Amino acid sequence: MESATSRLLASAIQVSQGAEAKVFKAYLHPCEFASSSTSPSDASDGRTPILLKYRFHKHYRHPTLDTTLTKARVAGEARAIIKCLRHGVNVPGIRMVDTAQGVLGLEWIDGKSIRLLLGGGAEGEDETTEEETEDDSHEIEEEDPFDEYGISEDDAMRMIGTEIAKMHRADIVHGDLTTSNMILRHPSSAKGLQLVLIDFGLAYTSTLAEDKAVDLYVLERAFASTHPASELLVASVLKAYQEHMGKEWLPVSKRLDDVRLRGRKRSMVG
Amino acid sequence: MPGRVRKRSPLKLPERPYIALGLEGSANKLGAGIIRHDKDGSTTVMSNVRHTYITPPGEGFLPRDTAQHHRDWALTVINDALKKAAVSLHEIDCICYTKGPGMGAPLVSVALVARTLSLLYKKPLVGVNHCVGHIEMGRQITGAQNPVVLYVSGGNTQVIAYSQQCYRIFGETLDIAVGNCLDRFARVIDLSNDPSPGYNIEQEAKKGKRLLPLPYATKGMDVSLSGILTSTEAYTTDKRFRPNGDGEDIITPQDLCFSLQETVFAMLVEITERAMAHIGSKEVLIVGGVGCNERLQEMMGIMAKERGGQVFATDERFCIDNGIMIAQAGLLSFRMGFQTPLSKSTCTQRFRTDEVHVAWRA
Ligand SMILES: Nc1ncnc2c1ncn2[C@@H]1O[C@H](COP(=O)(O)OP(=O)(O)O)[C@@H](O)[C@H]1O
Ligand SMILES: [Mg+2]
Repeated sequence: MESATSRLLASAIQVSQGAEAKVFKAYLHPCEFASSSTSPSDASDGRTPILLKYRFHKHYRHPTLDTTLTKARVAGEARAIIKCLRHGVNVPGIRMVDTAQGVLGLEWIDGKSIRLLLGGGAEGEDETTEEETEDDSHEIEEEDPFDEYGISEDDAMRMIGTEIAKMHRADIVHGDLTTSNMILRHPSSAKGLQLVLIDFGLAYTSTLAEDKAVDLYVLERAFASTHPASELLVASVLKAYQEHMGKEWLPVSKRLDDVRLRGRKRSMVG
Repeated sequence: MPGRVRKRSPLKLPERPYIALGLEGSANKLGAGIIRHDKDGSTTVMSNVRHTYITPPGEGFLPRDTAQHHRDWALTVINDALKKAAVSLHEIDCICYTKGPGMGAPLVSVALVARTLSLLYKKPLVGVNHCVGHIEMGRQITGAQNPVVLYVSGGNTQVIAYSQQCYRIFGETLDIAVGNCLDRFARVIDLSNDPSPGYNIEQEAKKGKRLLPLPYATKGMDVSLSGILTSTEAYTTDKRFRPNGDGEDIITPQDLCFSLQETVFAMLVEITERAMAHIGSKEVLIVGGVGCNERLQEMMGIMAKERGGQVFATDERFCIDNGIMIAQAGLLSFRMGFQTPLSKSTCTQRFRTDEVHVAWRA
């Protein structure tokens, strides 16, 4: 059975494969599909792109489990995003929802993820032994990737803290705060420079300081594991967060201390 | 991707062959293994001997009895390893032992053996982190270069990736370890501990038909498993539960093993996939005792294939706790100039994977 959603997917081009979904860029103009022999990525004609987040069938898990999870995640993500939008948190707008097919259509954000901008990722992919000689001339001058956005690294960290605080004040817990799930929107786009939170598949509503603290703890660990020696960056994030949380900061801060302690004490019995 | 540059390994090729003895006893397996690193960079497993302390069905292993088992078997297992490798202790370069993490009394009993041999034969000691042992042996056997590692055993559940001379923990269990979860359920339904409760759960699960709903609890790259264990146990008091399985609309122990495995493994594969997506890696390596579960390997393989990647796993000789992995990790750090002085040759029950300086990698 060919649905509108599957036609749209077929016309789209894949831009990446995230943690649980394939992500496509598409255009919401069905009439243009027939004539488009050119690549759909040509945005030059002024059409606005959208992002399709396709939670494809995961063959590794039991089909019943897969169907339940996919439906719940698509609907949950849409719900959390709508709630964020209502509270003025920077998130992508919603363009379409199809829980049966596992597809969510979102506003396309022009920019780069914070993980890419901070340069974290797998390393030492190709380790060489000492025989393989290799010249060290690849050490070119490093450019600050944030220059293009007209801000400093620290400014970006403060924007992250501010946005998370806005989200938490709306009682939304993200559930997967990593630097991959934050995009810095390019200043040249219509809405200008923004820090946009994405990927609400694990988000839920909670008023508990404990849940918000765990959200921050996940973020701290994501920084520590992906971006070594990033303590100062995290400090900036938390400072801005604190400023924007107002009197809600104190209970969260207390729980955060507890959560950190629990993390370190977690039993590591072989 | 930024940061992905070719780096030169700090580990120099050995100027002569090196041989290490590894001793492991952090849980109910006592292992002794002998490894050799040759001048051409090759590695040879010369021997790998293990003896497991097996308790009666329904019973776990207690620290005191486990330590006693290790003391009783130490000489036999070590002599056997030396004989199979056809070397004497005089030819060995260093004695590697598990410093932690693990159960206190068993760890201490094996460390004592290591210290005694060190003094008798005047050989340097190398204290090894058990988890790093699993990772290094897995990399050695499978040839995986820089994989995301899923470390799943009786006491640990972690998603790990290497960066800047450290095995960093991206995700882990928030409560009990997966092996512990499976073992405890095996005890509830009185499965045998021989060869291991996990192995018997896997066999029972193959006969299960019905997927029962269980709480699915992933939180970012972390998982929580205690709720699942409680819910699975609760089904054994359900009025549809039939230990010997006859009739319509019933729940059998096999169904429960099947449901438990399907749910828990789906969670583990999901958090591994999250870590792979986050750091942009296409290789997965599964290590630790639960890593020999073929259903887990199969599920991980499908996930990796759907991402254009590959899974690496080892069989029970290297997955289940063993001495050779301690020898391998220990010899790598010994070749980087690391030794554990006698006065510091203690054990520690808590020893996190990310506390180790991985000097031998770029
Ligand atoms: N609205 C968007 N605009 C542009 N790129 C996006 C958008 N949403 C996601 N992406 C890109 O796709 C990747 C995966 O999307 P994400 O929602 O995080 O899915 P997953 O749950 O699979 O991680 C992101 O890391 C980001 O690079
Ligand atoms: Mg994501």
